[in-house]
Amino acid sequence: MNLRQRIAAHSANPGAVTAVLAVMLPLCIFLSLALGPVPIPLSGIVSELAGRHTLEPTLHVILFSLRLPHILATAVIGAALGVAGMLFQGLFRNPLADPYVIGSSSGSLVGAAIAIFWFPAATFYGFASSALFAFLGAALTIGLVYLIAQSGTDGSSNSLLLAGFAIGTMLTGAAYLLETFSSDSSAGLRAMSAWLHGTIATPAWPQLGVIVAMLGVGVFLSWLLTHRLNALAFGDEYAAQLGIPLERTRAAVIVVGALLTAAAVSLGGIIGFVGLIVPHVMRMLMGPDNRSLLPACALGGAMLVVVADIFARTLIAPSELPVGILMAFLGGPFFLFLLRRRPEVYA
Amino acid sequence: MSAVLELQDVCFAWKDRKVIHGANLSMGKGEALALLGPNGSGKTTLLKLAAGMLQPQSGTILLDGQPLEALQRWQRARKIAMVPQRLQVPFAFTVQQVVEQARTPHTGLLGRLTETDRVAIERALELTDTAQFRHRILRELSGGEQQRVKLALGLAQSPEVLLLDEPAQSLDVGWQRSLLSMIANLAQEGVAILAAVHELHLVAEFFPSSVLLAAGEPLCGGVTQELLESQALHDAFYRAPQGVGRTQAL
Repeated sequence: MNLRQRIAAHSANPGAVTAVLAVMLPLCIFLSLALGPVPIPLSGIVSELAGRHTLEPTLHVILFSLRLPHILATAVIGAALGVAGMLFQGLFRNPLADPYVIGSSSGSLVGAAIAIFWFPAATFYGFASSALFAFLGAALTIGLVYLIAQSGTDGSSNSLLLAGFAIGTMLTGAAYLLETFSSDSSAGLRAMSAWLHGTIATPAWPQLGVIVAMLGVGVFLSWLLTHRLNALAFGDEYAAQLGIPLERTRAAVIVVGALLTAAAVSLGGIIGFVGLIVPHVMRMLMGPDNRSLLPACALGGAMLVVVADIFARTLIAPSELPVGILMAFLGGPFFLFLLRRRPEVYA
Repeated sequence: MSAVLELQDVCFAWKDRKVIHGANLSMGKGEALALLGPNGSGKTTLLKLAAGMLQPQSGTILLDGQPLEALQRWQRARKIAMVPQRLQVPFAFTVQQVVEQARTPHTGLLGRLTETDRVAIERALELTDTAQFRHRILRELSGGEQQRVKLALGLAQSPEVLLLDEPAQSLDVGWQRSLLSMIANLAQEGVAILAAVHELHLVAEFFPSSVLLAAGEPLCGGVTQELLESQALHDAFYRAPQGVGRTQAL
């Protein structure tokens, strides 16, 4: 079987795909460190990272205070969204689900709007108030959606999806209402707009440390859930008779997915399509076993956002495009392509 | 012969609609029983009760002499397997991956397979004649092939009791015959099999004993051929849906 046939049969070797991604991601990060309005030579980057100060002081500052934390943040956002996408697609047994599908993006939108318009100057451990409130908004919304789906419905994945859609729609309306009633200056509206468009901020190192820890915990917990997530793909009835505690497993997937989404949202606002595209492509390459997909989704997600960020920073340099907008331009055609190629899957 | 699965006066209702009326059943090791009854008579409900997926309102279900509710989920799943009527898998899992999943009650949290698991999987694939398409994607198989994989799924769980919900549905008569014959042979492996079947024209050929579940009636059992010729079976399938004109059970 040649590579093309293996890909068509979703049977590319998962280890090989993951290894290729593990090599390509650092290369993309290096490339991204070098590119930008002020180019930095690759040799200088390598020696600086090795602890030898060969770059002139300005470039040193740009590298360590601006570019490196920014690029690591893009990688963290991508990895978190890739894994969260895998979790939600597995949970909903739907290849079109994404981290924002159960209302978390709308929750974070309301949170960010409250912070931007009412507490614009507040910070918490290096995080802007919008990041913190976005996190709280996402987590509270997912909790609420889960409680609604559990009480008064059958608690199935469909109930969750519908409850998420209903709450999400209401919260999006609420966010725009806040914007309408806001007497804030254009600074607040600009911050809100950057947040909505998915502009990745350059975090302070302690802030990045916290988000990396959240990613680490999220990925570890996801790894523990992968086998059960495989069982959920066979339907609630079959998974239950295998001895899987359905409600506990669903709750765990939602909490971990929310943690990862919130980590990404607090750094980069709304960046769509990553959680949709990455698990989708990885599943096409290597099949649907979540145990193999997990590392590939983390690495693939990180790589996609790092590459998108390179284009965002260089296409109209010295200005920057929001990565969220770039992803929308990439994601839309990608799904149209999939729809033409395999319409039966999306019927 | 000691009973592997025993139902004692089991009753169950969906809200106000009573479905199972005092079901009594006892199955020994290696026994294959066909569960007969018209649509809506509660066959799937009875199988779900036996699998511990539903709780009876009254009565007791014993598995190896132990009440079902006293067992942990995973303990129950190691002893009893239920293959549902429909198994719709949205992703492109291969037959091998699907059958491996059936070992979940025997593996740890991450589903790592041991040598025992691999032997059970190979045996299940071999007995159901599905090893030949182990690398194909489940949802791309024909209806008959998918039903055989479902059977492999039940077997790979290494249960003492295998519950099958309409295993031969939507198949032509040739496939039905082959599948029911396969199920009857599996009982010889020592597994107690309770299969809800609609193929009345074939059931006597492969299942010496059957139980009949008629709406609003207690479960009644006996020799399949006698049951097929009974007034109770005729009433169950041909009487008015409201239950007018019932006669006594066997």
